[in-house]
Amino acid sequence: MTATAAPVKTVQGVTLRLDPAREPCFHVVHTDAEMADWPGMSDQSRRERLHRHMNNEAAALEIAAQCLVDFPEAPWDLRMQLARQSADEARHTSILLQRLCELGGRKGEFPVANFEWCVTLMVDNLPGRLALENRTFEAGLIDILGSLRTTWRAAGDATTADLLDGILADEITHVRFANRWIKRLTEEDPRILLRVAQAVHYLRAVNDALGPQPGDTNIVGTTFTQERTQAPAVYVEARLEAGFTQDEVLEVLRQAGFRSILPEELK
Amino acid sequence: MTQSIRDRADTIATFRWVSVHLMEMLARWVPSTPELEVKILFGRHIWEFAQHGDALGRRTAELRAPLHFSLAPAKTYAAVLEELAQVKGTAERVHGLYQAIMPDLEARYHRYLTDTNPLLDEPSVRIIDRILADLTRLRADAAETLGQRSDLLMADPKWLERLRTRALEVASFVALRSGSVAEVV
Repeated sequence: MTATAAPVKTVQGVTLRLDPAREPCFHVVHTDAEMADWPGMSDQSRRERLHRHMNNEAAALEIAAQCLVDFPEAPWDLRMQLARQSADEARHTSILLQRLCELGGRKGEFPVANFEWCVTLMVDNLPGRLALENRTFEAGLIDILGSLRTTWRAAGDATTADLLDGILADEITHVRFANRWIKRLTEEDPRILLRVAQAVHYLRAVNDALGPQPGDTNIVGTTFTQERTQAPAVYVEARLEAGFTQDEVLEVLRQAGFRSILPEELK
Repeated sequence: MTQSIRDRADTIATFRWVSVHLMEMLARWVPSTPELEVKILFGRHIWEFAQHGDALGRRTAELRAPLHFSLAPAKTYAAVLEELAQVKGTAERVHGLYQAIMPDLEARYHRYLTDTNPLLDEPSVRIIDRILADLTRLRADAAETLGQRSDLLMADPKWLERLRTRALEVASFVALRSGSVAEVV
């Protein structure tokens, strides 16, 4: 997929882009199994959730920024969107770092993984990267944030829930501009659809190779149950707001295992 | 002094080139800068320089040049920017941009305001007024970040002064068009 001589790493036989720079206080790991991920909302679990989210936002910033560097010939209006996304992700990182510290946490308290960067940066074209980072990872974050806000509020932390609500609004705009640009670019050149499909196929292959299997455990002994390895509940309203069509949302629902509850004509 | 339309377009286009260059430089620095607070600072400011480039690029079209017309600066000035872009140290990146290049850029904007006709060229003046206010805020952000990261020290503090001097030595950074050399980005 990658055309440049960018530095790479190999994880369980899969070639990925080398991680972006992190301070020595961070312990960078390469798979979900190496992450310290606890179930429930204990104080430790809350800090780890914020810490992981903070690092993921930093990676989203790095991906958007690197797209500005790698594709100077992209339309100016699209570059503006990527520049805005960079600033949004930087704000999110800052917000989550501040909240982490307020809850007694610190940078480097838990392992971090840069999966999104390592996968997305293997793709050598902008539509493919938008398909992975914005249309897949960030759209997945929309689904996760949809339920996480409720989880934090139910755990008595309305402050964090409100912060996540604000982040969700920004993420919807990032997914929406990617959807619009992919549509526009493929209308101008239908061959771009092939690049998007190749990128999505590549991500699927990486997930198959590196994703945890039900029954596996992570470094703190948490078991990856069937439920934990499944995609989160689809936040239909937000996905529609982000520019997904009704058919696309239904397809995500089908793939997420909701086929049985779909009306017969949509299966 | 009243500048010709073409001279004004060339100067605005040079400011645009510099804004886009600084946006791309920060974007290049973000993944390769380890310190999280600085990564955040650079990331937030990418958007600021993009907006400057956008406003200036729209103005070039009003000055009878193409929309988003960018004009590369004089080679001596471009070389100063390139030296900064190649810097690897985080302290050098922050000090170099916010304490050497940005004050120099502010001085060049002020010079444009002094030289132009404030009524005839009022749209440019308004854009530059806003940019100058932004640059002041950006330098304050950087000072705050450096306050959080007092461990960020330059290997050679004299380098900053040399960078400032090199920028200052370029009296005019505009390489006026001799023909049709428009670069639209």
